[in-house]
Amino acid sequence: MIFVQALSSISHQNSFQKDSIWKELTALEANSVCESPDYKQYIPANALRRLSPVLRMALAAAQDCQSKVEGEFDAISVGTALGCLKDTEKFLTTFLTTSADTLSPTAFIQSTHNTIGGQISLALGNHAYNMTHTQNSVSFEVALIDALLCAKDGKSNVLVGAADEAIDFLEGLRGEIIHSDRQFTSGASFFVLGPQEKSVKVIDCDIEFGPYSVHQSIDQFLIKNNVSINQIDLVLFAENVEILAKKSLNYQDYTGLHYSSSAFAFHIGHDFLKSTNSSKVLIVNNQSDKRLGLTLIEKHEA
Amino acid sequence: MELFVTGYGAISCIGNNVQEILHALKSEKTGIQKGQQPHSERYLVGEVLLSNEELMRKFELKTIGSRTGILGAIAAKEAFQGHKRDASIRTAVISGTSVGGMDVSEKEYRNHIDNSPQNMRNYAHHSSGNSSEQIAEELGITGFINTISTACSSAANAIMMGARMIQQGKIDRAIVGGTDGLSAFTINGFKSLMIFDEEWCRPFDESRKGLNLGEGAGFIVLESKESMQKSGSVSIARLRGWSNASDAYHQTASSPEGHGATLSMKEALSVAGMQASEIDYINAHGTATPNNDLSESQAIINVFGKNIPPFSSTKAYTGHTLAASGGIEAVIAILAIQNGCLFPNLNHRNVIEETKLEPIKSLKEGAEINAVLSNSFGFGGNNSTIIISK
Repeated sequence: MIFVQALSSISHQNSFQKDSIWKELTALEANSVCESPDYKQYIPANALRRLSPVLRMALAAAQDCQSKVEGEFDAISVGTALGCLKDTEKFLTTFLTTSADTLSPTAFIQSTHNTIGGQISLALGNHAYNMTHTQNSVSFEVALIDALLCAKDGKSNVLVGAADEAIDFLEGLRGEIIHSDRQFTSGASFFVLGPQEKSVKVIDCDIEFGPYSVHQSIDQFLIKNNVSINQIDLVLFAENVEILAKKSLNYQDYTGLHYSSSAFAFHIGHDFLKSTNSSKVLIVNNQSDKRLGLTLIEKHEA
Repeated sequence: MELFVTGYGAISCIGNNVQEILHALKSEKTGIQKGQQPHSERYLVGEVLLSNEELMRKFELKTIGSRTGILGAIAAKEAFQGHKRDASIRTAVISGTSVGGMDVSEKEYRNHIDNSPQNMRNYAHHSSGNSSEQIAEELGITGFINTISTACSSAANAIMMGARMIQQGKIDRAIVGGTDGLSAFTINGFKSLMIFDEEWCRPFDESRKGLNLGEGAGFIVLESKESMQKSGSVSIARLRGWSNASDAYHQTASSPEGHGATLSMKEALSVAGMQASEIDYINAHGTATPNNDLSESQAIINVFGKNIPPFSSTKAYTGHTLAASGGIEAVIAILAIQNGCLFPNLNHRNVIEETKLEPIKSLKEGAEINAVLSNSFGFGGNNSTIIISK
């Protein structure tokens, strides 16, 4: 069995270093901002100046996770849908407007998706397996699937998480290729998975592509895991779907719009199980009609 | 569980398919030349000399998208040709890319900067995930699609991810590798790092100054024995070992003692259950940057001691194809095994003073090659090794 050993999120909620976010959740209001912690506690000041929001968030959340567990991570699996957008845009603008001979490499170096995982390994002096997954709206799920493979392979301290950042440019894509009226947001959520008994265990995670039937996919996923839908205490979904569960919530009301927000839904689900007398949470990431992510977590009764 | 390679496909500046690439490797001819595009004409690069439209027509592709996706679809289609499509064989596409559809976005973004009208829909091809979905759509695969983006080790990591998923029973078969179309973004990025050689790159040579970039894609098909029984596929090689480790030294530079690379090679041998002495050929990462080649040489010495097998970097043929390199080089490893060929490290004259390792200097045929170790190292100290055998 694989348990959640520790977790840490930076988001538009007051979520960082909270014992449980379940009771504190509030639906986002217009123009909400990311609630950043004091990054100086995690990142040296000279490095902090160079780091974009997605790198700051991920580094702080990952180091917060490290401080909550014994021993180094023996695998790191990071998901990001759009990666380091701010540095990508910065480098694009710079090379399109100045001579190739005078470019500073900093934005380029920090634009690659695996800067997130790479910076975590550098900050922690960690030499373990270090993977970066990117698959649009199911980026967190593929990172989680890899982390579960690592844990089943015997790794005992697997860091898994996802991070994405908003940039103003995304507004221009609304109505063209982005069909949501939610606010673009930023967030990083990281978790440590391992065999040591804790209050929440991760049962399974699957992804699926192409036009899908959400009910059929949920049915198959639950049958595979020997669970029926009326045993699910809470369904966290991204787009409204009629499900006969005891309780359901649209997690995007709390995360806003970024494509790895199901990582924060995982955090919500974890804290719900920890703080209530409930046993099962299903996360239905149906943010896209072409990609579906399903994740099942359960309370562990010692 | 044994993992079998049942198909391979590649495209690069030295050939549009596996047979053309084999011919170029045997002819000891580089594909690197003066760039043909506005963004590449100042440099020596390994470009595929066909436009996107020409590629789509020539390879009968249906799915529109980025150059990265097009190159990937061509190589993946070659790898998957003749494979049985059967709903009971759970098949994944796992592809590595560094910049995904940047080749499309950067053209649109120029309009943004010039305040010219933009076609915002073109940004739909931007995300790295979409290049893999483009490949999967071309192949008609919908079950599991995953993109790995760890810079220059992406394809090797995609191969590893596929292997681990098959081993744990999540899937039966996987089309794994990597792809990168050459973009102005990447060329300018490497220019800003000042690691280009203005002449032909010289991996493992004392006088090496840097790399030449390239583009392309390389994919292999991995299957379990059960999957092969259902698909009727024939094994052409076995994937024996794999590993990924972090150097944790610097965001772009490798540690002088090759710590991460040493870990990665040792762990891959351990996964394979093989001794270092069983490796017959090393296809090195060998980018020809002063830093990489010294660090990798040191790591090879750390792992193999005095008995270093024949080794070469084939990047003087293809250029550094970044996220595709591990896929193209996995195909080259299989070609070495199948044809008993040790492919040379072109442009090599003098050994590196500190390590004195001499790579293969000319083509050797008739070699008995049972096992090949292939290295791929990326930014962020992301070091990967795979081992392929007969």
